[in-house]
Amino acid sequence: MSFPVLDEHRLQATEAATLRLLTARTEAWTRLDDVEALRERAHSIRMAAIDDLDGHLDRFIAALKAAGGTAHVCATAEEARATVVRLCAGAKLAAKSKSMLSEEIELNAALEAAGVEVVETDLGEYILQLAGEHPVHIIAPAIEKTAGDVAELLSAVEGVRVEPELKALAQAARRQLRRVFERADVGITGANFAVCDTGSICLVTNEGNGGLVTSLPRVHVALLGMERLVPTLDDLAVLLQLLARSGTGQTLTTYTRLLTGPRRAGEEDGPDELHVVIVDNGRTGLLRGRYREMLACIRCGACLNVCPVYRKSGGGAYGPVYSGPMGAVLVPLLRGLEREPGLPHASSLCGACTAACPVKIPLHELLLDLRRDLVGEGIAPRSERLAFTLWSLLWSRPLLYRLSTAFARLGGPLGALAGPGRTWAAGRALPVLARRRYRDGR
Amino acid sequence: MRVQLFATCLGDLLFPDAVADAEALLRAAGCEVEFPRGQTCCGQPAFNAGHRRASDRLARSFARAFDPDVPIVAPSGSCTSMVAHHMTAHFDVRELSSLLDELGAEPPARNDGLRLAYHSSCHMLRDLGIDEAPRRLLERTGAELVPLQRPDLCCGFGGTFSVRHPEVSVAMADDKLADGARADALVTADPGCLMHLRARAARTGAVRVVHLATALARGAA
Repeated sequence: MSFPVLDEHRLQATEAATLRLLTARTEAWTRLDDVEALRERAHSIRMAAIDDLDGHLDRFIAALKAAGGTAHVCATAEEARATVVRLCAGAKLAAKSKSMLSEEIELNAALEAAGVEVVETDLGEYILQLAGEHPVHIIAPAIEKTAGDVAELLSAVEGVRVEPELKALAQAARRQLRRVFERADVGITGANFAVCDTGSICLVTNEGNGGLVTSLPRVHVALLGMERLVPTLDDLAVLLQLLARSGTGQTLTTYTRLLTGPRRAGEEDGPDELHVVIVDNGRTGLLRGRYREMLACIRCGACLNVCPVYRKSGGGAYGPVYSGPMGAVLVPLLRGLEREPGLPHASSLCGACTAACPVKIPLHELLLDLRRDLVGEGIAPRSERLAFTLWSLLWSRPLLYRLSTAFARLGGPLGALAGPGRTWAAGRALPVLARRRYRDGR
Repeated sequence: MRVQLFATCLGDLLFPDAVADAEALLRAAGCEVEFPRGQTCCGQPAFNAGHRRASDRLARSFARAFDPDVPIVAPSGSCTSMVAHHMTAHFDVRELSSLLDELGAEPPARNDGLRLAYHSSCHMLRDLGIDEAPRRLLERTGAELVPLQRPDLCCGFGGTFSVRHPEVSVAMADDKLADGARADALVTADPGCLMHLRARAARTGAVRVVHLATALARGAA
């Protein structure tokens, strides 16, 4: 299935926002002393955790327990959903902060089926919930919405017209969400990182809603991708230097929270219970082999912002959860290549993603390898394999190359009638073979 | 200096004049240019589509055609990258403009008064790290270089990508062509980008697109 280009309205919103974000990133990177050294360090910190994931996991879980929290290790999305539903037993309302992992495991539908009302409190996610849509960008979920779109959605809840102007929109959302924070029995968040030494989880946000979700409700459930572990606080500091800079161009996000266990005796804020739901859902399957580097991803969104394909087609084209280059690599790996055979081809292999990745994941090379696997595992269509085999048999022999290209010149215009030539010719002139090849004149 | 010229399949079949220009530039820079007649294609279309058995077949054919002890020159960033990075056999392969620049080539002043924009093709820029050499050479021909807003943005070709995702591919070409609209011509060192951008420009009447070798040897006008 080929990717369509977004409609004009969404295209303009997406291109403007991604350009703003990618420009901010490049500027933020140039302000760092030695960004290449920092990227190398970040890469090795992430790979150290992945090289001994079991060891790091054990250390994190022990430290979390010592701090009074509870760990729940879940092998599958189904298990993770069931665990969160169980932790929410008796709750009427769950306030959520942004979590792509909750999208990955399709948590909201499961909670609602169990009778728990779920309200997204990240502004972008809240807007999408009102619109009944999925996030289309991992850090800016409502990137395709303009102020006008948002005003319309918020006005419907307010019952009066909200002006499409930032302050008015923020105030309306804040009014609406305050009522949720006050009533919520459970707060559900993701976790940007988990620190093995201290058992802390780290949450970075720009809106402050994360602080209310993790402190007001009686129970805090944090969803953690199994690979998002960092050994020490020093290591975390390295990654935090890159995360916000790469995502939004900020030095740090407005709020960087380190949560270590639930509220302790004598403390005023914080939940009675802290549960960290650690989700595998296919991740450990990548531990050995070529694709393990994908586990280093810190979900900054830089690769989406620089990707010309993402910027034209939008996140929805990739599927409901992860998009852009990181999604094109990760989703087939988590869900199985046979279920997502199109995603490795959703790239011109321009390599802008690899150059933008703060933890140096060779994204476009991984896409190339996935394409090789599509062929190697027999998932690529037989017709395509046959075409490339025939082509290579002809063109690996100079005489047959000369004959085939002489014939092709005669039949040239016919190429527009069917197959790839026809697809090409829909928006482009068919290239005309020269009357004399270079070799003929030599 | 003795060099083997790799015309590349697109150069041989679609842009023989650009290859002839490349040859003329190399000779003017003092090279003795050989054209190994057994050459066809580096196999990149198959490699990038995941068909490694097919690309290996072409790589073996490439190895039969070229002498491993004599430098190879290609008027193409992406084919140079394919030969340099994705073949098991080792070749001393050079992209045309980087070699010309290194040899201190002084191409004729055929672009006096022309405003040219240079598109930094992806493999050229990110795989080979070549971006300044073509600009320097163009300036030596008297051209005024018009900066693109996004010189590093892909033109949307991407081999089979151009037919797997035609709508996005064409939209990307339009962006590149619009970015170069202020120039008298848009110059690229890659036959893949050239083929794609020209094919789109032929439909929309956008800016002229010229191969770097032609712009250097005969002027981009």
